[in-house]
Amino acid sequence: MKMKKSDIGVVIAFYAITAFFYAQTVKLKASIQTYPKFIEIVLFGLTTFYLIQMIVNAKKHGVESRNEDFKDFQPAQFFGCLVLTILYLLAVNYIGFYVSTLVFLVVSLLYLKVKPLPTAIATVSILLLVYLAFTLFLKVKLPRGILF
Amino acid sequence: MLDTIKIMGAGFLNAFMPINLLMMIAGTAMGIMIGCLPGLSAAMGVALMLPMTFTMKAETGLIVLGAIYCGAIFGGSISAILIHTPGTPASAATAIEGYQMTLKGQPGKALFTACYSSFWGGLLSCISLYFFAPLLAQLTLKFQSAEYFWLSIFGLTIIAGVSSKSIIKGLMSGALGLLLSTIGLDPVSGLPRFMFGNVYFAEGINTTCALIGLFSMSQVFILAEKKIKARAQATKVTDKMSLSREERKMIRPTIIRSWIIGNLIGILPGAGASIACFLGYNTSRQFSKHKEMFGKGSIEGVAGSEAANNAVTGGSLIPTLTLGIPGESVTAVLMGGLIIQGLAPGPSLFNAENARMTYTFFAGFVLVQFFMLGIGLLGCRGFAQISRLSDAILIPCVTVLCFVGSYAIHKNIMDIVVMLSFGILGYLMRKFDLNTAAVVLALILGPIGEKGLRNALRISRGSPSILFSSVVCWVLIALCIVGILSPIFMNKLEKKAEEEATGVDPDDKKPVDLDIDND
Repeated sequence: MKMKKSDIGVVIAFYAITAFFYAQTVKLKASIQTYPKFIEIVLFGLTTFYLIQMIVNAKKHGVESRNEDFKDFQPAQFFGCLVLTILYLLAVNYIGFYVSTLVFLVVSLLYLKVKPLPTAIATVSILLLVYLAFTLFLKVKLPRGILF
Repeated sequence: MLDTIKIMGAGFLNAFMPINLLMMIAGTAMGIMIGCLPGLSAAMGVALMLPMTFTMKAETGLIVLGAIYCGAIFGGSISAILIHTPGTPASAATAIEGYQMTLKGQPGKALFTACYSSFWGGLLSCISLYFFAPLLAQLTLKFQSAEYFWLSIFGLTIIAGVSSKSIIKGLMSGALGLLLSTIGLDPVSGLPRFMFGNVYFAEGINTTCALIGLFSMSQVFILAEKKIKARAQATKVTDKMSLSREERKMIRPTIIRSWIIGNLIGILPGAGASIACFLGYNTSRQFSKHKEMFGKGSIEGVAGSEAANNAVTGGSLIPTLTLGIPGESVTAVLMGGLIIQGLAPGPSLFNAENARMTYTFFAGFVLVQFFMLGIGLLGCRGFAQISRLSDAILIPCVTVLCFVGSYAIHKNIMDIVVMLSFGILGYLMRKFDLNTAAVVLALILGPIGEKGLRNALRISRGSPSILFSSVVCWVLIALCIVGILSPIFMNKLEKKAEEEATGVDPDDKKPVDLDIDND
């Protein structure tokens, strides 16, 4: 099996996570350091083992030239959805759940090129479902904002 | 013995309560709907619905989750048959013969076969659930702290190998999950660990938020990155949805064989419905008296695949409920639901206090199969239309459900932040072939393992020899080794079964010379 270029990033990320947690562990009281340290050593060992396996694969079979992981990636669509989701998270607490959900659904569906009629049907259905299931049935008090 | 029969009977009476019946209908319909949508999976559906079960009684909550599980496994066959796109990987083999039947103008017959076989596969799998689960649970009575430590390690080694292309990456995912499970107050001393001054993390990472993020929100990102295409028009079901007496007689042995295969695959931790469907399909072809029909729309092929994948459901609950070892993603989420209800897998589920709840769930699981048959047969045409729902509609709708679901747990915005963070983490993990199920299981098993390890070391005054002091410990250590090595065998088994069924090598996608007609 060829070595994947993206796996270099995976190894770096795992080493970084291990190092970050290790740096935090040594700041803990000595009595509670053992267990996290044990896991950090295991994670470090496994990552190193994977790194060796990667190097062996690269020598034996070569390196995958194309990035297959993101072959059909649509950057505008993906990051558009991600930004809308983050804005939705920020809005929920300030303008209330129902208003922000209404805006999020309409904007997202139109952004994803859904026609107006299905957009309206989907928005009303989801809001109704949430109201019936969470507000009426489960009695969850959803965030209220400046509107209601 | 008489007591057990009495509790079983009480379980059935309890399961017949109107609220339970209502939830079975709702859960099954929701599961079928999720299953027939090619972008969604059974694990995602169960994770998404988990918060809705919090306020329910434990048995009702578990019945809902079980109903979604069974419904989703069957639901995958609807889109497999009508639009040649399996709703879940568990129906991949059904698409081979099912779609050929649709092309021949027999979609109704194919759907009836799938529904009928799924019903029998699921129903028969309940037999093993009833008989083996209490027996296996008794075994854990011999477990003490050291054994619990090894058991949690065994659970992790098993799940790490499942659905991972690389075993090492699976183990790395598990270790990452273990590290994340240490966030919060130390379980022995109560001192803060990795909380970064935020009291929200005192109780650790909320497992439900992590589950929703890793399984549901990450799927939203997976859908969002791909070009949205219109799905194929579902073929209209114009023929009669039934089988003749001869046809039913013909598929009977196939169903029984597939039930045994599916059940064993389900009990084996590390194997799942996606393997079972191909094995069931291949076995039905090997034993068929009408081999010439395979590849041209064989009802035995559909029955073999569908009975096997639904037989997995009951079997897979056995290690989950008795040992706390879920063999695949869906059961890992289900176990999360069990723990959230304050229940621990093992013999305590069968003691005087919880037996009524457990047997009500089992009885509910039996009844769900009947609802699946009824709803499946009556609603096939409607579900077929739902299966065409565009990803563009699913993306924002599922996002809203993820948000409201995670908020409903503690009514805290931080839960949504955690869910979204795990959603991004889950997306990246799936892109780079890491294992999200291993992270979830580590979050659940991590505290159990840590408690077991530290209690054992406290008893032995710090000597690690206690971890190797009993026969059960050694058996569990051996199982851990088997757990690490089993994915190699399971991957080979799945590849071989898929290759035999489709005639295509799953690795290089080159056709291999087999006697199956793929035209």
